Order: sequence, then C-alpha cells, then structure tokens
Amino acid sequence: MSQPDPLQASNEMEALRAQVEQLAAQLSEEYKMASIGRLLAGIVHEINSPIGSILSNNQVIVRALERVEQALAGGDPASLAKAKGLVGTCRSLAAVDKIACERIAEVVRGLKTFARVESADLRKVNLNEQIQNTLKLTHGEFKNRITVETDLGELPPVECHANMLNQVFLNILVNAGQAIEGHGKITVRTRREGDRVHIAISDTGPGIRPEDRPKIFAQGFTTKPVGVGTGLGLSISKKIVEETHGGSLDFESEPGAGTTFHIRVPIEQGRQAAGQPPGGRT
Amino acid sequence: MSTNQKSSVLIVDDEEMVITSVRAYLEIESEFEVHGFTSPEEAAKYLEENLVDIAVSDYLMPRMSGIQFLHRARELQPEASRVLLTGHADKQSAIQAINQVGLYQYVEKPWENEQLLLIIQNGIERAKLLRDLRAKVSELDTAHSSLKNVQKRLLQAFL
Repeated sequence: MSQPDPLQASNEMEALRAQVEQLAAQLSEEYKMASIGRLLAGIVHEINSPIGSILSNNQVIVRALERVEQALAGGDPASLAKAKGLVGTCRSLAAVDKIACERIAEVVRGLKTFARVESADLRKVNLNEQIQNTLKLTHGEFKNRITVETDLGELPPVECHANMLNQVFLNILVNAGQAIEGHGKITVRTRREGDRVHIAISDTGPGIRPEDRPKIFAQGFTTKPVGVGTGLGLSISKKIVEETHGGSLDFESEPGAGTTFHIRVPIEQGRQAAGQPPGGRT
Repeated sequence: MSTNQKSSVLIVDDEEMVITSVRAYLEIESEFEVHGFTSPEEAAKYLEENLVDIAVSDYLMPRMSGIQFLHRARELQPEASRVLLTGHADKQSAIQAINQVGLYQYVEKPWENEQLLLIIQNGIERAKLLRDLRAKVSELDTAHSSLKNVQKRLLQAFL
C-alpha cells in the first residue's frame, strides 16, 4: 500500500471545487431561465395585443390610403370630406401604433436586463428603473388577479450586478404572486438607508408557516407542487444578495397577514464586500 | 331592451389599442355598429339594456376574466354569439371557454383581420338565425294554442 500523495489529493480537491463552482453557476443560470419560462405565458400575452394591433392597423392604413387616393381622383366635395375622415383614422391608428411599439419595447427591455452578457460586471444602476423593468415581465401574469403598488423612494445609483439583482426581484415577485390565492396585492417599496438601499416586497398571501420559516432559504426546500417550485429560488437569491453583494435578505411573515421580503444592498461595493457571482465568473 | 337595425358587435378588451384597431377595421370593411369597452363590468351593464349580435372578449382582464364575462353575456343574451380573442398561450383557457360558456369561436392574438371579420359575420348570422328560430317557435306555440282553442270550441259546439 502506497501513502496517498498530498499534492495529488490537493489537486483533486481543487478540481472538484472548480467543478462544484461551475455547476453552481450553471444551476443559477438555469434557474434564471426557468423563472423567465414560468412567466412566458404572461409575457406572450403582453406582446400579442400590441402586435395584433400593429398588424391590423397596418392593413387598415393601406386600405384607407387606397380609398383616399380614389377620393382625391374624384375631387367632388363629398369624396374630399370622406378622404379627410380617413386621414383622421390613419392619424389615430399611427398614434396607437406608437403606444403598441413602446409596449413591446418595454417588455423587451425587461427581458434584456436578464440576458445581459456583461452580467459579471459591476455597474452603477438605478434600481428603481430595474424594478420597474422586472415588473413589466410579471404584469401579464398578475394582471387579472393581483394589484401591484409601487412606492419607490429616491435612490442613488447602486453599484451591483444588475441582472442578478433583477433575478432576485423577479424570484420574490413570482413567489409573492404564487402565494396569493385568488385576488391580492403586492407592494414594492424602496428607500435609502444610510450607505445601503432597502427594497421591501410585501404580499397579501397567507404568510409562511412557522415550521417552514427556518427552512425557506435552504437549497431544495419548497412547499410548491412538483413542476411549480424547484426549491432553488430563495437559496440562489440569498447567495446573490449576501455573498455577491455583501447585503442581506430576510423576511417577516405573519400567518394570515402576508409576507414581506427585505433586500438590503450596499450602494458602493467596497473591496471587502464585493464578492464573486455565485460559482465564480464563468 | 332596445333593438338596432344595424348588426351590433360588442368588444371587450382591457387594452384600448385592441378596441381601436378592431373598430377601425370593422368600420372600414363593414357596416356593423361597434361598441367597445375596456371594462367587462361596463360591457355587461350595456348588455342588460342593449341587444347585440356578437360579443368578442379578451381572456385576461383585471377583476373579471373573459370567461366570466362571456358567462354573464350568455345569461343576458343567450342568442348572441360569443368569441374569445386571446393572447394567452394556454390551450386550457380555450377548452374551459368552450365547455363553460358555449363559445362560438376562439381567436388567438395576434389575429388575422380577414379571419376575424369572417367569424364576426358568421357569428352575427348565427345569432340572427337563432333569434328568428326563437320567434318562429313562439309563433308556432301561439298558433298551436289558438288552434287548440278553436278545436276546444268546435268540440263544445258539437258535443
């Protein structure tokens, strides 16, 4: 029997550690895509109405122009009056198209905050704007039963990995939406607290059961049915807020009175606080 | 309940832009009267007092879903055709609608104008035929009972 080679063992450990980090990063990425996937039906609904409108308006405008042409060729006062009416229709449809395009652009902007390739880079961002972009993605999913209220205070630019924090916001918002049975309300409040910003997301759901509270940040813990919850969302969120940004993520919950998640992140990422994204930069 | 000469289309969508687009298309391509509502509650109120031939509704709306609205429309005006115009990528809602509200047609957003127009035209015709049928059945009932009366009087006269 030969003695184990300490150098070889240490190399193996190093390789295993790298593998674990890589898997953690992959898991985080897959979870992010899964959360977007869960919202897909709502997102599709959000953009289908404006697309339908634009397509229809385009056809109406082309028809209207043909008729305007005919009316102008006729030249009699009755035809000209009709042409004037059609020009008015075209103008109002062009205004609708503008609103419709803006709506699609807003949803795409919301999606882009998740797909940023420079995700590992720290940037100074307006977190209120990021929250509003994220809310655009949940709008379709929530709109028939949940009212979303925002109370966004003045915030300085926050140095952070924006797409990761958006993932946290989206995760907590989706959880809040799933917690609410039937109709309810979600409130998002932001404030500056000294050298940190505080984001509070409250829901009017049934609250978290006392026996579940110690476990909710544990990886793999979920109270949702198979196929709905993965038990990864809050554990990844906690890592993003606390390990990557040196902030804190906690909650308060009363049975019957809903739940509030408190996200606190430093405005500046000092060398000490600024961590690596979960799983390292890959 | 007031009746209109022109065929009447009711459209409910919480997105004003959808109503504007469909209205503009129907106005340029048809003679239908279009009544648009962004609130399903207000549309239901309209149905309490005004006859329509077809009700076209969005699926996902705040407070009242398209299914709930069409259910109410069925109670108020059973002959009016019911169409769900939805962007919701979920076949479950279609099946639910067909089973629960006796849906005439299900149209997905983004919609094709020609297809929507055809559905609306056919839906209007269907509603008018159903109303005619109901009127004929009631005429028949009246004729039947007056015949029965005549028969009764004849029997009384001879017996």
